[in-house]
Amino acid sequence: MRLVAFFFLLLCVMGCGGGRGGSSGPSAMDSTLVITSLGDADYLNPVIGATVTSSNIFGLIYPSLLQSSFDTSTGLLNYMALEKQLRRGGTELKKPEAALARSWTFSPDHKTLTYHLRSDAFWDDGVPIVAGDFRFSYMLYGNPRIASPRQQYLAELVGAEKGAVDFSRAVTAQNDTTLVFRFHKPVPEYLALFHTSLTPLPEHFWKDVKPEEFRQSSLNQNPLGAGPYRLKSWKQQQELLLESSASANLPKPGNIPIISFRVVPDYTVRLAQLQTGAVDVVENIKPQDFEGLRSAAVPVEIKTVGLRVYDYVGWSNIDREEYLKNGRITPHPLFGSAKVRRALTMAIDRQSIMDGYLKEYGELADSDISPSLKWAYNSSIVPYAFNARKASEMLRDEGWVPGPDGILQKAGRRFSFSLYTNAGNERRNYASVIIQQNLRAIGIECRLEVQESNVFFENLQSRRLDAWMAGWSIGLEIDPMDVWGSDLETSRFNFTGYRNPRLDQLCLLAKEKMDPLQARPYWLEYQEMLHRDQPVTFLYWIRETQGFSTRIQGEELNISGVFYNIDDWTLRPSATLAP
Amino acid sequence: MLTYIFKRLLIAVPLIFGVLTLTFFIIRLAPGDPAAFFIQPGISPNVAMQIREQYGLNDPLLVQYLKWLMNVLQGDFGRSFSRAQQPVIEVIASALPITVTIAVLTLIANFVFGIIIGVVSAVRQNSFLDRFMTVGALFFYSMPEFWFALMMIILFALKIPIFPASGLNEIGAEGFGPFGFAMDRLWHLVLPVTVLSINGAAGIARYVRGSMLEVIRQDYIRTARAKGLPERVVIMRHALRNALLPVITLMGSSLPFIFSGALFIEVIFAFPGMGRVTVEAIFARDYPLIIANTFISGTLIIFGNLLADVLYAVVDPRIKL
Repeated sequence: MRLVAFFFLLLCVMGCGGGRGGSSGPSAMDSTLVITSLGDADYLNPVIGATVTSSNIFGLIYPSLLQSSFDTSTGLLNYMALEKQLRRGGTELKKPEAALARSWTFSPDHKTLTYHLRSDAFWDDGVPIVAGDFRFSYMLYGNPRIASPRQQYLAELVGAEKGAVDFSRAVTAQNDTTLVFRFHKPVPEYLALFHTSLTPLPEHFWKDVKPEEFRQSSLNQNPLGAGPYRLKSWKQQQELLLESSASANLPKPGNIPIISFRVVPDYTVRLAQLQTGAVDVVENIKPQDFEGLRSAAVPVEIKTVGLRVYDYVGWSNIDREEYLKNGRITPHPLFGSAKVRRALTMAIDRQSIMDGYLKEYGELADSDISPSLKWAYNSSIVPYAFNARKASEMLRDEGWVPGPDGILQKAGRRFSFSLYTNAGNERRNYASVIIQQNLRAIGIECRLEVQESNVFFENLQSRRLDAWMAGWSIGLEIDPMDVWGSDLETSRFNFTGYRNPRLDQLCLLAKEKMDPLQARPYWLEYQEMLHRDQPVTFLYWIRETQGFSTRIQGEELNISGVFYNIDDWTLRPSATLAP
Repeated sequence: MLTYIFKRLLIAVPLIFGVLTLTFFIIRLAPGDPAAFFIQPGISPNVAMQIREQYGLNDPLLVQYLKWLMNVLQGDFGRSFSRAQQPVIEVIASALPITVTIAVLTLIANFVFGIIIGVVSAVRQNSFLDRFMTVGALFFYSMPEFWFALMMIILFALKIPIFPASGLNEIGAEGFGPFGFAMDRLWHLVLPVTVLSINGAAGIARYVRGSMLEVIRQDYIRTARAKGLPERVVIMRHALRNALLPVITLMGSSLPFIFSGALFIEVIFAFPGMGRVTVEAIFARDYPLIIANTFISGTLIIFGNLLADVLYAVVDPRIKL
């Protein structure tokens, strides 16, 4: 027993000695910003890195051709070079000093984009950043052996229409400061700038790595960049440290000396650490935890970014068994009619789901164009209000009448189905139970089935589900053909089998416009169409919420990223630090 | 005995290969696609195809199997799909030390506390102390580890902040010097090891109590007492030694646990150990890593059982192998 008592005493002494917040003067924490993440970075190489943490780090250690800023008043992205910008507006905080391009010229036929680069930019080893680095990097992005997840950006370059980009013409470096991109078709300027903004790699550093060994190269763990930060150390699956790069001029060394990305897989623990001050940033805080955070010992702020994520209930519009077996497209026996789908939307009390779970951090959705993209969003659409009586009437009009067991019937078929969702999503679990109750109230039997995420996704892709609940995270460019295109063979994410030739046409017309604002009428009609046909029941947009320690100053959150101006952040020193 | 061990080892080889072959086919039959991550809007449909090609998943299953077999026979378990193409052996080598440290500390605590509690409650059978300890042990034994861990974090990291909530070291621990670093590491291990060992010790205590109760009723214990030996010697030397026989087999079967890791504890305390490697590999359909993990745990289970049998024969002269 004495031994045990001694053991505990020892630990308590260690605990007190090792803990922060003692009076021993400045600790390492005063110069370190700690960001927690669910998962680790994979490759510190923008050509192949695919995790969220990797992308966050690329922005800090690599240079970029242009700076982008999101204009919250219009929802449009602005691109900035040192001496030129695409349009007015956008945030004042984002300055173009970090851009590698001084300016650009775009040919009147919208097919040639020429960048003029600055000559005072250097990689961290002192070698100048030149146009050849971009050409080299684009060849890596386009190499099928490397399988870059960003190769879609090269789709408009010369040669891509025939299957392989012709790099002798598509990307050329006329001299060290002149970089030319050539497209096979006219491309709107904003899209040309967006698709040519892939992060470059230093050619002199990477040129000896063979494509087949590219993913295995140790350089992926020891990158050479040119941003405000550089890699200090990386203990995989634990912690990645970046240090402010003293020689940086793109735009300057980061304000905070050390940034730590810590992997903490468990949500409750991330939250506890935010409350004790052991970490500074935790992403995706659940609404039910706000109360606890606001009263934490260490003050925490809850911040939100724009609306980029929505949940929906998917209905198979077509009889998927018939389609899978015989390739014939016929309406689904339950969800084939738009009127039935509208009735289902009205029968679901979306407001209750939001009030119960998301509270003020949700917004009713009526299409897949986010209210944050104001230039395209159709604010005149009135969301279907919850109205079980009207839903019942609409179903009766469609021939669905109550059977002997209280469940609606039509021609001997009961209105009964399974609603699938993926495991581990608390919000969707919550919503699915309310949906089940709502539907039961109007005589529809809905069984809830939860599947492991991989299995669920595979079933969705192969159109093996009649009804499911899922979500999409949208990009800042609107390009919905993959999700709604009528050609079910090529539209990979059209899980519902929705087909509407007018919608296809609208998407094409919008894409052809060289100025996005001119495409606005098409997008307005597009939203009306989706609202009318309800190929899915759009539930709600989710305002993602992030927890920030109040010792962080100067942070500005934006739909284009939480860590978007992180090199400008500063840390307020702790109280124990002498002035 | 040596022939016995040799025979068992010989049988182990086809057994392990059988297990690996079975795993190879079963995981490929399971739904899900290692390239699924690359199937999303905004990513070219070619990417998933190119990735599958790189992983060799476009070959017929039999060809994949033969290629894999050839590599494994040369000791090459391939490269991980989900962890930036690191060789799987490296992935495992970096996770093992962490897992082994926690497991060894836990096992020591398990056995020390388990045996003490078991002996005390057997010797004082039906006393208040025995009841208290038995109920206490049962209480902790039936408590889910992940819940207990979270409660400990809330109590000792949030409400009374004396221990860290997660991680292996403090920020800037590298600057503490070797002793400070080790102390910092130990300080981080207190909560997880406590959670794991309270749970485990409770189980062992119940074993020890049961076998101890059986032993102290034996004639030779009565004889020892009749000789006039002090109670301490009777219990420690005559009873405990015999009562520990079944516990020794437990040690053998704990071997796989040492290397396979404790998933919940690793997730909650953010330790990059074997439990997390295994589960993340399964979720990501990282075939080479899953197979390498199966190899390790399969081998250890077989060796653990062998070790238990051999230990049994070593400590109990009545058993001949």
